[in-house]
Amino acid sequence: MEGPTGMDSSDAALVARVLHGEVNAYSALVSRYRDKYARYAVHMLGNREDAEEALQDAFTRAYRSLARCEDPERFGAWLFRILVNRCRTSGARRVRRGQTFVHDETALLNASEEHPAEQTMWREEIERALGELSADQREAFLLKYVEELGYDEMAEITGVGVSALKMRVMRACDRLRVLLREVHSA
Amino acid sequence: MPDWGRTTLELMVQELQHPVRLDESFDRRVMVRVRRIYAERRHRGIIGWLGAAASISRRPAWAAALAASVVAVVSIGLIPHGGGKRDAHVGQTIPVQFVLVAPDARSVAVVGDFNNWGLGDTALVAENHNGVWSVSAPVHTGVHRYAFLVNGKQWVADPTAPRAAGDDFGQPSSALVVEASTQ
Repeated sequence: MEGPTGMDSSDAALVARVLHGEVNAYSALVSRYRDKYARYAVHMLGNREDAEEALQDAFTRAYRSLARCEDPERFGAWLFRILVNRCRTSGARRVRRGQTFVHDETALLNASEEHPAEQTMWREEIERALGELSADQREAFLLKYVEELGYDEMAEITGVGVSALKMRVMRACDRLRVLLREVHSA
Repeated sequence: MPDWGRTTLELMVQELQHPVRLDESFDRRVMVRVRRIYAERRHRGIIGWLGAAASISRRPAWAAALAASVVAVVSIGLIPHGGGKRDAHVGQTIPVQFVLVAPDARSVAVVGDFNNWGLGDTALVAENHNGVWSVSAPVHTGVHRYAFLVNGKQWVADPTAPRAAGDDFGQPSSALVVEASTQ
C-alpha cells in the first residue's frame, strides 16, 4: 500500500517505522482506526467521554506494546482486541461506581441534525435497549452484528469459546426483541 | 420511526452501524501521550540497560576508601585517535576514546546522539581501570552531543568539553566535534 508520498503506508510498514523510532508514523495508525473503533467503544460504554478515554488508552497501550505485535500486518485486529479489553475494564469500573448506562448525547444530537425527530427517538430507544443488556451480551451482539465479525474472530478477541458467544448473541437478540417490542407497544 | 417492513433487529443494527466520528483533536491527544511515552522510554531504556550493565561491573576494593566522597567526576578528555589534518569527509567514522575519572562509580557508560542515546544495545559501557573509565567507539564526522551516565542514573556532562546548546532529556550534555582524518 502506498500513501500520497509514495511511501508504503500499510499497517506493517507504519509499525516498522514506529519501532525504528519514527514516532510520528503512529499518527497515521491513529487516524486510520480512530473512527472505526470509536463506534464500538461508544456503543459498548454508552457515552462518548468514556469511549474516547478507552480508545485513547487502547492506542497508548498498543504503542507501549508495539514490539509485541506478532503480526504487524494485522495491527488493526490486535488494537481492537486491546480496545475490547479496555472497554470491559471501563465498563466494570463504571458498574463499581454505581453508574448506569447513559446515552451518547452527542451522537443523539448529531442524529437529530441529520434525521427527523422520530429517528432521534428511535436512536434513543436503541441506546436504551443496548444499555439494558449485560456487558457480556452487549459485547457479543456488537461484535457479531455491528462489527460483523465471525465467531472465530470473536473468540480470538474475547477469549471466550464460540458456543458461549453464540449463546450470548442469541440471548442478546431475544432480549432486544422484547425490549424494543415493549417500547413500540407502549 | 423504523420501516416495519424489515425486522426491528435489522433496523437496529443498521442504525448502530452509522459511523461515529471523532475530531482531529483526538489524534493530537493520543500523540501527546505517545510522545511522552517515547521520551520517557528513551530515558528509561538507557537507565534500564545500564542497570543491567552495573550488575556485571566490579567495584574495585579500594573504592570503599573513597566512598564517603561524592562521586567526583573529572573528565580527562576526549581523545580523537588519528587526529592530524582536518579535512571533512562526509560519512567517515573516526575512533573516539571517551574517558571519565570516577573512582567511586559502579558503572559508567557513554550515551549520545551517535548511539541513539543508548537505546537498545547501543550504549557504550566503559571499562574501569582503577577509577579511570574509558571506552572507544567509531563516531561519524560532524557535531554530536553526548553525556556520561554514572551508576545507571546520574547524567553527567563532560566538564572539560563545551556544553551543548539545549538538552535532550532536561539534562546537560556536552558537544563533540569529530573531524575527518586524512591518514
